[in-house]
Amino acid sequence: MSQPVIVYEPFKAGLPPMRAYLRSLWHRRAFISEFARSELREQNFGSVFGQLWLVLNPLLLSAVYFLLIYVIGGTSDEIRFGHLTATLFLFYLIANSLTGGVKAITSGQRLILNTSFPRVMLPVSAVVVAIFKFLPTFVVAIAIHIILGLPYSWQMLWAFPVLLISIVMALGMAIMISCINVYFRDISSMLPYLTRSLLYLSPILYEASTISASIKQFQIVNPIFYLLDSWSRVIVHAEAPTMYGLIHSSIFALSIFIVGTYFFLSRERDFAVRL
Amino acid sequence: MISLSDFNHQHTQGSLAVSVQNLGLTYTTSIDKKPTLKSRIKSLGRGKKHTRIVQALNGVSLDVHYGTVLGIIGSNGAGKSSLMRVISGIVPPTQGRIEVHGSVSTLLALGVGFNQAMTGRENVYLGGLAAGMSRAEIDANFQAIADFSELGEAIDAPMRTYSSGMFARLAFSVAAVVEPDILIVDEALSTGDAHFKAKSLNRMKELRTADRALILVSHALATIEDLCNEVIWLDKGKLMARGNPTEVIAAYREFMNVRKSASSDEDV
Repeated sequence: MSQPVIVYEPFKAGLPPMRAYLRSLWHRRAFISEFARSELREQNFGSVFGQLWLVLNPLLLSAVYFLLIYVIGGTSDEIRFGHLTATLFLFYLIANSLTGGVKAITSGQRLILNTSFPRVMLPVSAVVVAIFKFLPTFVVAIAIHIILGLPYSWQMLWAFPVLLISIVMALGMAIMISCINVYFRDISSMLPYLTRSLLYLSPILYEASTISASIKQFQIVNPIFYLLDSWSRVIVHAEAPTMYGLIHSSIFALSIFIVGTYFFLSRERDFAVRL
Repeated sequence: MISLSDFNHQHTQGSLAVSVQNLGLTYTTSIDKKPTLKSRIKSLGRGKKHTRIVQALNGVSLDVHYGTVLGIIGSNGAGKSSLMRVISGIVPPTQGRIEVHGSVSTLLALGVGFNQAMTGRENVYLGGLAAGMSRAEIDANFQAIADFSELGEAIDAPMRTYSSGMFARLAFSVAAVVEPDILIVDEALSTGDAHFKAKSLNRMKELRTADRALILVSHALATIEDLCNEVIWLDKGKLMARGNPTEVIAAYREFMNVRKSASSDEDV
């Protein structure tokens, strides 16, 4: 054999050779789907309803808010109920990506120490799990929309680009936090407080239009504020999102994704010696 | 990164399997086992060091040909595991070049079972897919892996219920059943009961064919002497000697001042 089959050399500029890396990641897509399937099976393993929990969970959540708004609150505010459920479900896509992503690398220790593969596969798998959990909630949100008799229009097709921005944001966040957690292991214990704060600071329990301008000016630093606002406009109000909202969330999503991925790839070679 | 499915070549004895040229590996690692933000903030301004630089390998050059069973010996921290990890592509080198001519299967210290909440079966699939095998290839090998590991119905139990011996049996079975061109085994023969130890040793002997290369790291010098036809001795990241097992082991023993005692030979 004259041609060497595979060559390992020092990384240039701290990054692995990208073309080979992406090819290798694509080659292992079966891992990502198998991981998501096993993870979901394992999370609901042994429970009476099994995988049905994926649908039951959002249904129960919305039942709680129904109780809160209609029964305890005594109002019949369809828009508020629709807004609360729709934005909360999208928020969970981001939050579940973060929770799944934070330990993606540290808990993959055995695999990382024993096998050569693109490490980014692990946080990406965590986001795929979060997407699988999100899809049934999307169906529930649509069902609620129909039952409540909320408006429809072609503008609702904006849901797809908004969802795409959300997925890019979720990927960026998961990739970044999985890498940070290798260096600071207590990040995973702080994460519940971080996501809880994000929940209250974002337009979920309230609508973006109801907060005062003086408070709203600070929301420019909240990466998901305008994302959730856009989602609510599209899904609940059947309107087009604002251009500002789209640009704000796209810039945040892309920046987090690019910075997070660069940070991850440039540190990736360290993982096997840091775990 | 290589896939086992990509290469099913027939290699002729004596052709090059792995070529390591002037390999150097230096890395920075944290001093704390579990570094935290809290400890970092607490020690701010105290000038405490959090990381240390390790020079694991320095100027190592070596060729491994097909048909060779290469043993790697050396004291703790000599760079044996680092060398294995660099050859397997797990850690990229900081200097030098490595060429690998064939598919590699690695059985390094920890083995399979990356998610302990999942079953043995799921972990075998995930491990195989991560290594670049296709689902069909794992399907084809799965029964043989399960049979070799002798786990029986436990293969479908979550791996957190496994004993360390069961872990090791499954890990060895995965690496050894797949029949790679190049098999790298790091200290993995020392687990399991006497029966499985003998079985895995036999399997290693079966795998010693002309069209395969085996690289074996162990502290058990007798096993190395028994299995290998070539031995290298590493010390502090440098290649000290290479050659005939008996001679290299004798030199190593002399260097370490370790006499052939029961304690160093007991474990395989």
